[in-house]
Amino acid sequence: MKPKSKHIFLVFLTILIFFPFIFLVLLSMAPEWRFPNILPQYFGPDNWQTILRSETGLLHSFLISLLISLSVGIVSTLFGFLISRSLYYHPQRKWLNLFTYFPYILAPVVFGACLSFFFLKMGIFGNITGVIIAQFLIAFPYALIFFSSFWNKKIKSYEDLVATLGGNQWQKYSRVLFPLAKSMLLICFFQTFLISWFEYGLTSIIGVGKVQTLTIKVFLFIKEANYYYGAISSCLLIFPPVLLLYINKKYVFKNRV
Amino acid sequence: MKISKHQLGIVFFILIGVVPFFGALLYAVLYSFGIVGILNEGFTFLFWKSVFHSGDFVKSLGYSMSIALVSVILSVGGALWLAINFTRNFQSRFFSFIIYLPLAIPGIVTAFFTFQLLSKGGLFSRIFHRLGWIESASGFPDLVNDTYAIGIVLAFITLVLPFFLLLFLSVYKNENIEQLSSLAKSLGANSTQVIRRIIVPILLKKTWIVIVLYFIFLLGSYEVPLILGQEHPQMLSVLIIREIKQYDLTKISEGYAIAVMYTIMVSLAALILFLPKKKISHET
Repeated sequence: MKPKSKHIFLVFLTILIFFPFIFLVLLSMAPEWRFPNILPQYFGPDNWQTILRSETGLLHSFLISLLISLSVGIVSTLFGFLISRSLYYHPQRKWLNLFTYFPYILAPVVFGACLSFFFLKMGIFGNITGVIIAQFLIAFPYALIFFSSFWNKKIKSYEDLVATLGGNQWQKYSRVLFPLAKSMLLICFFQTFLISWFEYGLTSIIGVGKVQTLTIKVFLFIKEANYYYGAISSCLLIFPPVLLLYINKKYVFKNRV
Repeated sequence: MKISKHQLGIVFFILIGVVPFFGALLYAVLYSFGIVGILNEGFTFLFWKSVFHSGDFVKSLGYSMSIALVSVILSVGGALWLAINFTRNFQSRFFSFIIYLPLAIPGIVTAFFTFQLLSKGGLFSRIFHRLGWIESASGFPDLVNDTYAIGIVLAFITLVLPFFLLLFLSVYKNENIEQLSSLAKSLGANSTQVIRRIIVPILLKKTWIVIVLYFIFLLGSYEVPLILGQEHPQMLSVLIIREIKQYDLTKISEGYAIAVMYTIMVSLAALILFLPKKKISHET
């Protein structure tokens, strides 16, 4: 490819990457943007002001999504880290690892539909606790697979060294294992947070419309053909991950190098 | 008897990671054979027969596989082309950040965005109208909720291609492909030979499991075909949920029968992909 064509293509690629973000922000700020107008006739914060003051509950959905995703992210990361260690030291670890792939590979919405009976019996159907547990069940295998690459003979020898020097369990985790796994713990938290933040199908099945996360809101607004509010919900859904990506890129990877 | 910390970890793993999956599968199997469930009266093959006679599952499976396959092939092809031609450009500070941005867009937003672009009243239709290529919105071709699933495929490519690009760039760097390419060139290979004999085989060999995994993920995708798909045939997950959640309670068992077949299929795929193989390990 010639350098000039390459340059032109890279400009086009940049526009292509930013286009969805710009389009959604424009749509969220346009009270009327219909066929045949290529650009909206008016831009302004009216939609945002209206929706945040109204009773659509978008702010509430944002906070619910945040609560669910933070809970799923933290619990999955911690459990994934600790239990992946037990799996690594088990003589049949290869077979046990195989089991982690089954729930990971299955469509979450189908998994949720087959699990809904048990959630109903346990009284956690249609509430936040149920959604957190359901999302945890799909984020946890991911965390296990993610941390399986962390444990190796070198880490084991560090653990042995701590024991030889008289360190207890707490010291082993707080002084050696957690500092060694810091970057991986952060990345795993971001990933499981995002799995939960982006989740729609499973949430709609277990939450039965009562737990209205942002993804549920986006779908409801699309169904109502209220595209402007749909765009606002989409903006709220995509900008926190952009921030996480920025933090991830700026601090986590930088520290790893 | 005292349980060690390792054993406790394994118990937790079985309770959280294994029991829910097999519990869910067992429930779906029992429901599909009429053993449990509302209005079911006992063991029967009726629902399984009905699923096979209607042909919905086979159609849906074929439809889902075609869409997933086309999407994966186009995404892998596009990502390979970008990775091969622009590796150095993507190492710049600006591009090394912005190529991550598409990962911040979830499936449901991609579907919404695709709908806003490609529907009859969408942005492309308006541009076509302004250019005088169509007279009204109805003159714009069906690109969403259409027979050929063009909207779904485009949305899938938007979702998956950026991930493959990042994956290929990472393998490109880790496998020292640049050095290998220079070596091949110094031995007389031309650019096409380097791409066909070195770069593409290494990239595909190192990533084929992830590519197959993404094919399986797309096969079970829900929100994108829910928004951009047509009424019939539907992608697998949409069909399963439609059957399980419908008002006709007699049809729920058929939904579970399809769910069982789908679960067995992906579980077999997991077994084939991740079954422990006998080989010499090189642990560090």
